[in-house]
Amino acid sequence: MVLSQKLHEAFKGTVERITGPRTVSAFKEKGVLSVSEFVIAGDNLVSKCPTWSWESGDLNKRKSYLPPDKQFLITRNVPCLRRAASVEEEYEAAGGEVLLDNEDGDGWLATHGKPKEEKRDEEENLPSLETLEISRTKVVKSIPNYFGGEDEDDVPDLDDIEETDNVVGTDPATLPLTYQIAHEPDDDNILRTRTYDVSITYDKYYQTPRVWLTGYDESRMLLQPELVLEDVSQDHARKTVTIEDHPHLPGKHASVHPCRHGAVMKKIIDVLMSRGVEPEVHKYLFLFLKFVASVIPTIEYDYTMDFDLGGPSSQ
Amino acid sequence: MAYDYGSILQFAPLQSAVDEGFWHRLSSLKLNQLGIDDSPIPITGFFAPCSHSLLSNHLTLLSESLPIEVRRDSSTPLTTKGNRNRCAVPGILYNTNTVESFHALDRLSLLKSEANKIWEDIRSGKALEDSSVLARFLLISFADLKIWNFHYCFAFPALVLDPPATVVGLTSASQWFNFKEAESLFTAFGQWRSSDLTSDIPFFLVNIDSSSQASIKHLRDFETCQNNGGKLLFGFYDPCHLPSNPGWPLRNFLALIYSKWNLKSVDFLCYRENRGFADLRLSLVGTALIDDPKGFRDPSCMPNPVGWELKRGKKFYKTINLAKSMDPTRLAISAA
Repeated sequence: MVLSQKLHEAFKGTVERITGPRTVSAFKEKGVLSVSEFVIAGDNLVSKCPTWSWESGDLNKRKSYLPPDKQFLITRNVPCLRRAASVEEEYEAAGGEVLLDNEDGDGWLATHGKPKEEKRDEEENLPSLETLEISRTKVVKSIPNYFGGEDEDDVPDLDDIEETDNVVGTDPATLPLTYQIAHEPDDDNILRTRTYDVSITYDKYYQTPRVWLTGYDESRMLLQPELVLEDVSQDHARKTVTIEDHPHLPGKHASVHPCRHGAVMKKIIDVLMSRGVEPEVHKYLFLFLKFVASVIPTIEYDYTMDFDLGGPSSQ
Repeated sequence: MAYDYGSILQFAPLQSAVDEGFWHRLSSLKLNQLGIDDSPIPITGFFAPCSHSLLSNHLTLLSESLPIEVRRDSSTPLTTKGNRNRCAVPGILYNTNTVESFHALDRLSLLKSEANKIWEDIRSGKALEDSSVLARFLLISFADLKIWNFHYCFAFPALVLDPPATVVGLTSASQWFNFKEAESLFTAFGQWRSSDLTSDIPFFLVNIDSSSQASIKHLRDFETCQNNGGKLLFGFYDPCHLPSNPGWPLRNFLALIYSKWNLKSVDFLCYRENRGFADLRLSLVGTALIDDPKGFRDPSCMPNPVGWELKRGKKFYKTINLAKSMDPTRLAISAA
């Protein structure tokens, strides 16, 4: 972490400690949320998109200004079939356009909806050869050292112990899962893909929601946060997406930095209002997640697919 | 689908996923409270129905899977009830102090002893009241806190039907039900899954009455459902996504159904979701035929159990190293 970032974190932490949480709504004026508005918007997300749930998290890390059972939102085991970098060219070809921009010219890309989702839904349940090909060629290995390859010298090696048949046994009713074996054959139909736990916390300093990503590799082992950046739109990797301590979970996690969230949400709200749509605070997280989708386009979390940015909202 | 008449019903093994938070809490328990006490610790695992057509769900351990303090007087840790994405199932953790004792664990007898708890709960009727005990699991581990290495292995004990059950007519639920039934069933599942009282109950009955109205019932209501006509299926939250096989939890469910009600032909429903709602296209219906399996008549013996997670290559266990988030030296460097 660079020094300026450190200093800012320290400053932010101090401000958060000495100022109270926002209680007055400034949703339309500034695009930010009060604590109670965050809870309202979260409740609505959980009820409309039930793959999301509230969590209470670690007792020691609870924020007193949030209800104990509604500390943050999470959706687990979300597939990420392709690396973001590999789809950006397709977006360009598909006519992706910049809708929201800021004065600095480094604004958010407009949302592109759910990439590829509709297409796959029409296909069979079995992964197609095409997706398999993509997942195979784009596989990025996690760094082996992270998972026990390191510092193991003083531990007796268990590898040579022969497995005895009476422990695992032979059972005709157990489906042999070929992909659990180190060298997978080419003909299995199991899709090996990265998965993500996506969580949303309330950032007291910026008064906006904040998205965190915990990645898992193809064998459901923790992905280094640095490798998570491969699933971030390359415009945002290392700029708007940073790797920091999660407020409720242990370890470092990639996060979409919230410094511009208020401004972007304000722009979206202005666009809605200019079209005669009255923005409603309980729908904040749908709008928010829709614009976050432009940062992490290939992580297929649910934010209600048919939410319409422009017209009277459907959900 | 993939089956001819009477082929062996094969179950896709459950897979495990352990959150980093679980190891953090285990480390702090070990350092601050347990010391060299290596008695087994009751833990809680979480699972949910499959929620994506390409991806199975896992049995997941989180930091909340372990109690903050281990209390010897309570047999099960506290859990939050009513979270639809987190059906709590009981498990037990054997964490050894040395790598030698990790290896010396008698995995066969540990598996038998957990399977025996499931068998006892089936026989006593406890499984009808709290069906999550059917998905009981076992974790063995060695936490090398000097180098932040964790070796571990799961078992999901299943009572074996010998001879194995055969399956006929395995098909997508959307094809098995007619349109009216499917519509009513979708609504019934929506209610079951959105109520705090039922959303985390993983085994249930699906009743379709003569006017095609569906209802989801508790297992304990079997007798009343059986007598009111219509169709009766045994449903469960299936973490598996495969269109050709039901997931692991069906195994002990079949053992319960055969043991309690002596049914030789069981219509089952593998409940799966898409975007948090019942997906009847992804869900499966089939009929399991059970042919007088060994060990179910004699109350003194238990059917054989299976269920250790399959080997990965040569190792029977998995290893994760968390030095990056636990080593004080590394943390100090990354914070500097």
